[in-house]
Amino acid sequence: MTASQWHESFARTLVEHGVAPGEARRLADDSTEEAQAANMHPADLFGPATAYAATMARAARPAPLQSLTRTRGPVVLRLTGVTKRYRRHEVLRGVDLTLRAGEVAAVVGANGCGKSTLLDICAGATKATSGRVERSARIGYAPQQRGVAPYLTPDEHFRLFGAVHGMAARRAVATGAHLASGLGWLPRPGIVAGQLSGGTQQKLNVVLGELNRPDLILLDEPYQGFDQDSYLDLWTQVYAWRDAGAGVLVVTHLLHDLDRVDHVLELKATEDR
Amino acid sequence: MRQQWLHGFLDLCLLCLLLERRDYGVGLAQRLAHTGFGDIPGGTLYPSLLRLEKQGLVQAAWEASDVGPRRKYYELTSSGATAATERAQVWREFRDTMDRIAAPARTAPAEES
Amino acid sequence: MLWTIAGTSMREITRRRAALLLVIALPLAFYAARADMQGQAIRFLALGVGWAVATLALFSHVGSRHLDRRLAVVGASPTALLLGRQLALIGMGLTLAGGYLALVAATQDVARLWAVGLLLATTVIIAAPLGAVVSLVLPRELEGALALLAVMATQMIADPEGTLAKALPMWSTRELTAYAVDPVGDDVLRSGLLHFAVVALLCACGAWAAAVVRLRPQTLPTPVNP
Repeated sequence: MTASQWHESFARTLVEHGVAPGEARRLADDSTEEAQAANMHPADLFGPATAYAATMARAARPAPLQSLTRTRGPVVLRLTGVTKRYRRHEVLRGVDLTLRAGEVAAVVGANGCGKSTLLDICAGATKATSGRVERSARIGYAPQQRGVAPYLTPDEHFRLFGAVHGMAARRAVATGAHLASGLGWLPRPGIVAGQLSGGTQQKLNVVLGELNRPDLILLDEPYQGFDQDSYLDLWTQVYAWRDAGAGVLVVTHLLHDLDRVDHVLELKATEDR
Repeated sequence: MRQQWLHGFLDLCLLCLLLERRDYGVGLAQRLAHTGFGDIPGGTLYPSLLRLEKQGLVQAAWEASDVGPRRKYYELTSSGATAATERAQVWREFRDTMDRIAAPARTAPAEES
Repeated sequence: MLWTIAGTSMREITRRRAALLLVIALPLAFYAARADMQGQAIRFLALGVGWAVATLALFSHVGSRHLDRRLAVVGASPTALLLGRQLALIGMGLTLAGGYLALVAATQDVARLWAVGLLLATTVIIAAPLGAVVSLVLPRELEGALALLAVMATQMIADPEGTLAKALPMWSTRELTAYAVDPVGDDVLRSGLLHFAVVALLCACGAWAAAVVRLRPQTLPTPVNP
């Protein structure tokens, strides 16, 4: 690949990762000059254009404002003795949790121990067999599977969800694009969700859960199909939403970041109860 | 393993080098190599510099040089200088703790021989 | 909200090109097969349109049930979700009906052409909520399509004078075809319209009830802060 081809590929990939076109142009021009100053082919100096663009896009992403003191607000979710039974199969037993605004809770446990069911109960999609569920009215909900419509484009999703939330179409689309850039993704017109890669579909799924800035955000294994960078970006966003005053409940089976969350709720598998 | 460790500290290295004096990308890479950290690829170095720029700790300016094309020089802002001092202190505390924990690993072979 | 849902549903349906082509082609095939006998041709055309719109409605509702559930959880009313999709389906069905009316007008000399337009419209207006009802009772594509197939095939084969035919949803289509083609009296028109009204109301109420039951989320109280 020639130097100018490298630079074109670099600029294009930057835009795909959510960098504004003007800034992408500026970064590409800078890298051209750097390579010339070093008298090296850009691929030798920086590595492959697409990989370098992904790293630079992450570095260029503005870090969310870190609030110095975190205030814990009112309770946004309270579960008391929640139990769920299907016929003779008991999925959840006696689950308790109190989550406030400005906190993050992680729900962990082995596969099949009811994590998704618990999230559905919190959302109100499923009724608990017994126990008490109290939650804020404004919620965002990103289910693990089938949360997006395969035949609609991302922008159409934003408009649809925006209409349900009472947002004007233009504002919904702009908010969606802004949230997408936080996850390193640029929604393109004309491509329906079914044609997106698994990771990108999942980013759309997560963005739709945050579109109307809800008080409680429910995420079910939101990182599926994510590469390492996107996974880190996701947690950055989760903590940013927390700092902005939301309560976030994340179902996860990865234990990496548990030291930064406020609550860890472990669901035991039926054999261990 | 050293390369992995260095990734975590690269930002701090750059801040400290820039505290000493302003420099351009290749110059910083040379100083890192010269001090003993080996070759840092451009694909790692420049994103770190960009991140520091976005955080407001570093500012960059293109300058014409007498020899060859113009170069992009990086220098610390005042918050960058503060950050360098603070983070270096955190590093010293970390290093001291690590030294205490690693101490047995150093003395054991001496006892055996 | 309602019109956004309708517009979105419309876009979703029109993107499934193959399904659309079959929807358009099936009634045409029926019409062509019976072109020699006017009454039969129009009746099978209309029933074909009904079957096609009902199947489209079935697949549209089944395909969107997960998204509808998600939207209902964050505040969309099940009524709006159902009605928006139905408006899109009925709109498409009526457009299709309009096209076929033009075809009939061009290829046949019908005694009461306006009645042909009427019967195509009534068929569409029954078919869309019928597909929705089936989708909400049997929320899977294959089972639902088979159920619709059973209903439609029986509709076409059953003796129109017998009680079985009157119990099936599109009996009014056959009555109104008779009114359009044959020199019968207004009582045929009346009975056809009455049957249509009853069936349409039943299907619409059934669809609405099923949507509310399936989609309405739990009303959860806000937490009391100590």
